Amino acid sequence: MDVDGDAEEASRRVQVRFVTKLKPPYKAPPASIAIPTNLTRFGLSALVNNLLKAGNADWKNEAFDFLIDGELVRMSLEEFLIAKGISAEKILEIEYNKAVAPRKEEEPSLHDDWVSAVDGSSPRFILTGCYDGLGRIWKAAGLCTHLLEGHTGAITSVCILNPKVESGIEQVVATASKDMTLRLFKVNTEKSRGRPKKVQAFKSFRGHNASVQCIAAAPSGDRICSGSWDSRINLWQANDFDSGGDFVSIKKRKKDTEDEESKSEGEAISTLVGHTQCVSSVVWAEHETLYSSSWDHSIRRWDVETGKDSMNMYCGKVINCLDVGGESSSLIAAGGSDPILRIWDPRKPGTLAPIFQFSSHTSWISGCKWHDKSWYHLVSASYDGKVMLWDLRTAWPLAVINTHGDKVLCADWWKSDCVISGGADSKLCIASEISVM
Amino acid sequence: MAKKSKNSKGKNVVVEEEEDRLIPNLLDEEPRNSTQEEEDKAESSSSEYVSSDDNAGAEGADGYDSLTDTESESVDDEGNVTTDDDNDGESDSSEDEVAPRNTVGDVPFEWYKDEEHIGYDIAGKKIKKKEREDKLDSFLASADDSENWRKIYDEYNDEMVELTKGETKMIRRVLKGMAPHPEFDPYPTAVDWVSIDDAEHPFPNAPEPKRRFVPSKWESKMIVRLVRGIRKGLIKVDDKPKEENRVYLLWGDDPNSTERHHIPPPKPKLPGHEESYNPSLEYIPTEEEMKSYELMYEEDRPKFIPKRFTSMRSVPAYNKAVRETFDRCLDLYLCPRSQKKRINIDPESLKPKLPSRKDLKPYPTTCYLEYKGHRGPVVSISTDSTGQWIASGSNDGTVRFWEVETGRCLRVWEFGEAVKHVAWNPSPELPVLAVSVGQDVFLLKTGLGNGEEQKRVEDLLNVGSQMTPDDSDGGESIVKWSRDDNHGGIRLNHFKTVSSVEWHRKGDYFSTLMPYDILLLSSVLVHQLSKGLTQRIPFKLHGLPVSSAFHPTRSIFFISTKKNVRVYDLLKQRLIKKLETGVREVSSIAIHPGGDNVIVGSKDGKLCWFDMDLSSQPYRVLNCHPKDITNIAFHRSYPLFASSSDDCTAYVFHGMVYSDLNQNPLIVPLEILRGHASANGRGVLDCKFHPRQPWLFTAGADSVIKLYCH
Repeated sequence: MDVDGDAEEASRRVQVRFVTKLKPPYKAPPASIAIPTNLTRFGLSALVNNLLKAGNADWKNEAFDFLIDGELVRMSLEEFLIAKGISAEKILEIEYNKAVAPRKEEEPSLHDDWVSAVDGSSPRFILTGCYDGLGRIWKAAGLCTHLLEGHTGAITSVCILNPKVESGIEQVVATASKDMTLRLFKVNTEKSRGRPKKVQAFKSFRGHNASVQCIAAAPSGDRICSGSWDSRINLWQANDFDSGGDFVSIKKRKKDTEDEESKSEGEAISTLVGHTQCVSSVVWAEHETLYSSSWDHSIRRWDVETGKDSMNMYCGKVINCLDVGGESSSLIAAGGSDPILRIWDPRKPGTLAPIFQFSSHTSWISGCKWHDKSWYHLVSASYDGKVMLWDLRTAWPLAVINTHGDKVLCADWWKSDCVISGGADSKLCIASEISVM
Repeated sequence: MAKKSKNSKGKNVVVEEEEDRLIPNLLDEEPRNSTQEEEDKAESSSSEYVSSDDNAGAEGADGYDSLTDTESESVDDEGNVTTDDDNDGESDSSEDEVAPRNTVGDVPFEWYKDEEHIGYDIAGKKIKKKEREDKLDSFLASADDSENWRKIYDEYNDEMVELTKGETKMIRRVLKGMAPHPEFDPYPTAVDWVSIDDAEHPFPNAPEPKRRFVPSKWESKMIVRLVRGIRKGLIKVDDKPKEENRVYLLWGDDPNSTERHHIPPPKPKLPGHEESYNPSLEYIPTEEEMKSYELMYEEDRPKFIPKRFTSMRSVPAYNKAVRETFDRCLDLYLCPRSQKKRINIDPESLKPKLPSRKDLKPYPTTCYLEYKGHRGPVVSISTDSTGQWIASGSNDGTVRFWEVETGRCLRVWEFGEAVKHVAWNPSPELPVLAVSVGQDVFLLKTGLGNGEEQKRVEDLLNVGSQMTPDDSDGGESIVKWSRDDNHGGIRLNHFKTVSSVEWHRKGDYFSTLMPYDILLLSSVLVHQLSKGLTQRIPFKLHGLPVSSAFHPTRSIFFISTKKNVRVYDLLKQRLIKKLETGVREVSSIAIHPGGDNVIVGSKDGKLCWFDMDLSSQPYRVLNCHPKDITNIAFHRSYPLFASSSDDCTAYVFHGMVYSDLNQNPLIVPLEILRGHASANGRGVLDCKFHPRQPWLFTAGADSVIKLYCH
């Protein structure tokens, strides 16, 4: 053990045992060893790598993150033990995981204008919305397969309906725009050619009186909801199209645009009224429940069936982005007109105080997303040009992605191990090989 | 009598001659003898002396008496007793010795003047007067006799007495004022016969009697007697506590009240070593200390600074003597001759009680967003009624149109001439932007709103193309309405430079200001968008107009000139009020959304708050900015107002107006917003609140627009 052999006799030692939930090549021998307490996370990581190398000759070094009593170690072991009041006498169990940090930055995918929205819920492609009014579908970094045309204003929000269906079926995606409309597109992601294929919307929704700010699809994929600057949330039926007639309408549109477009237009099936200002973000969490945040400083939970809000949470700040996830998919993460990312637990009775506050950003937070599998991890994007990865078990960001040169407007997870983000520098950045779980 | 006393007591040798002294001595003796018997019983302290006096031979004399005794005896020993006795008792004893014949005593001689005898002798026989000698014979005899001068006739005994030599000597001494006996020493050397000082043991050197160490029988008897008495009930023990005296001083001072009691002043400190003319070194302040004293205030400085002098002679006079005397005189001269009642007021309580800034949240504090794109100073900004967009005009000749949320510039209009003012139509149905550029005012369609609204705007602005110049009240056309195809809107051509455009709240009327119209006839114009009409203000202005504003609810119009603000009623067409600002030059004016309060910013950095119901004088003048105030703004819904200035700052105030008429508006300064850079001596040129959020937009001469959020 070269760490043991180091001349660190002066420092105190503590008995530790390394445990992990990782698969066998990552498993360290369970014997307990004595290590000096002035080791930091990097020292511990080097130690575990050495242990693994001892058992496996062709081992490649890997960065690890360490958990003691469910708390990530972000200082030297000694300070951590003192801060948490843990006795150094008994054998300490340190759990290690692969460090959650991007190991690779993909080549940025260039757009013609600001990238205002991304959706990475489908593992096969990335959907982005852009200020030039076009939606784009990317198979991988720099590989655009489809252009979604039709909007006359900047796209503000995008979503993929039924993202988890298996390949082969045409995927339906929805976009919302400042031209007050929503559009649905069908894309077949299997066929990919050299040049991006232009796709027209097969359906458009009118009904908002101001620019549509956000869009979200129901988990079943049959309905979508949208929030707008007219402070209303509209629900739309998305699955009543007959696939036969659609192709006809697209063909006919070229001859008689005005008529055909009215045919493919849909009306709102219901409107949720309650917010007094711009609805900035909506999340359709469960089948009949959706969450919305607004510039009137409130976060509301709506019952879709009755159209009533079952919860109204006052936050004191303008909320720009909202996501629901985490432990049993019920924690609310939201960021807004201040640099603090807040997380509420609505199950806690009687209190409106956030349970977590992350304040490493320096400007407005424009986007936040929970990891779809992990309870602890989330990503946030801010106008200060940074994307940060967070773990609920520590107050410091796990990683800061600094590739954007301007405001970051949106961020999302992709394929559970990548973070995709778009910003005012017209780039879609993909940071990949993030080993969450 | 003297002889008798000698027998009874040896002590009386000295005091024998005086009878009145003897008597008390005798009286003393008797009780002393009687007490001596008691003393044995009562163990009185005098018993010690008794035992010691026994040695000296005196029976009942105490220590003091025995001392005097020995002394007097010694005196006696010194002076020869025999001669002493003779000389002393000259009158008496000589009488005794020579057997005084006459026994009548001390009676006047006249009584026997006419008798043949002069008295009686001891046997009672008459003593016959001697026959008178012949004067001549007696003279002759005396002349012959050489001893005659010492012969004295004794009338009492009727005989001649011849003085002895010793007697004449004594008489001479007495005449000289000396003691009669030459042997007598008036100043004898005192001899300490008994010295107490270095005695190892106490003077009475008797061993402690046994009774000192034995419990007193007498006391035990007494106790037994008392106990018996108590048991029998003869002696009653009073167990009850004594009743307290219920008498109190009726007219006296209350001892508890301290205020009228005299409290003596604290004693002054006694002078110490440091006040010496030559104190030791540790008292003398060092150079640094002296310097630090000089930095102190006069009052805080120590009153006395020790100093060294080589000698007392070199100590100078008190250097502040004249000054202090003068001060004292001044005090006496100026002091009021009546008692002054001091008012005890805490200066803190005189300060107005302002609420804490924390309680007045939210208000803008931090800049998070910047809107960059202009290439010249941003002169004017205006927010859309929903708060989604802002428009800005700049000296670089462009008007830009921004998305608030992201800071994206959506549209740019080029005018090629410095933009003076932009104003968004306050009506949400009519998204029209009014821009004043040079002599023109443009009404631009922004392309916002849904199709219906856009169509309405289109219709309105299309009408403008067919408009004929108005001629409402001048005959000549003041303003030309024409269609502007370059920018897609209406162009209103004025004959002078237009400095500002203000909309009425309904979005149909707007006013334009031409401050350089020297004739003052039509420097303020009111236009109606729907009809394409232009009107002069039918009032005479006194001074160049600086800015104007519409009342938010009523048809009242405010025009500010450089000194005053005039308030006109547009319906009745008359002047309602004149607000006197008292500042050098008014630069901007803003009306509270309630309509009863007006703030006016001036070019000397003052901000005046007028309560229109109160008076035409400012309710409060805030002197906050060191440079010109460029613009001021009220928030539409939050109780906030702000001022921007050329000193590159914007101030945010809490301005609460109460519906209760008795309560004056509450003004609290909240925050100084910094961040803009100075350019060409100008700082922040405009400030506007977000219509719905407590956010403030500021436009700077550094061509940046900043958004400050809470």
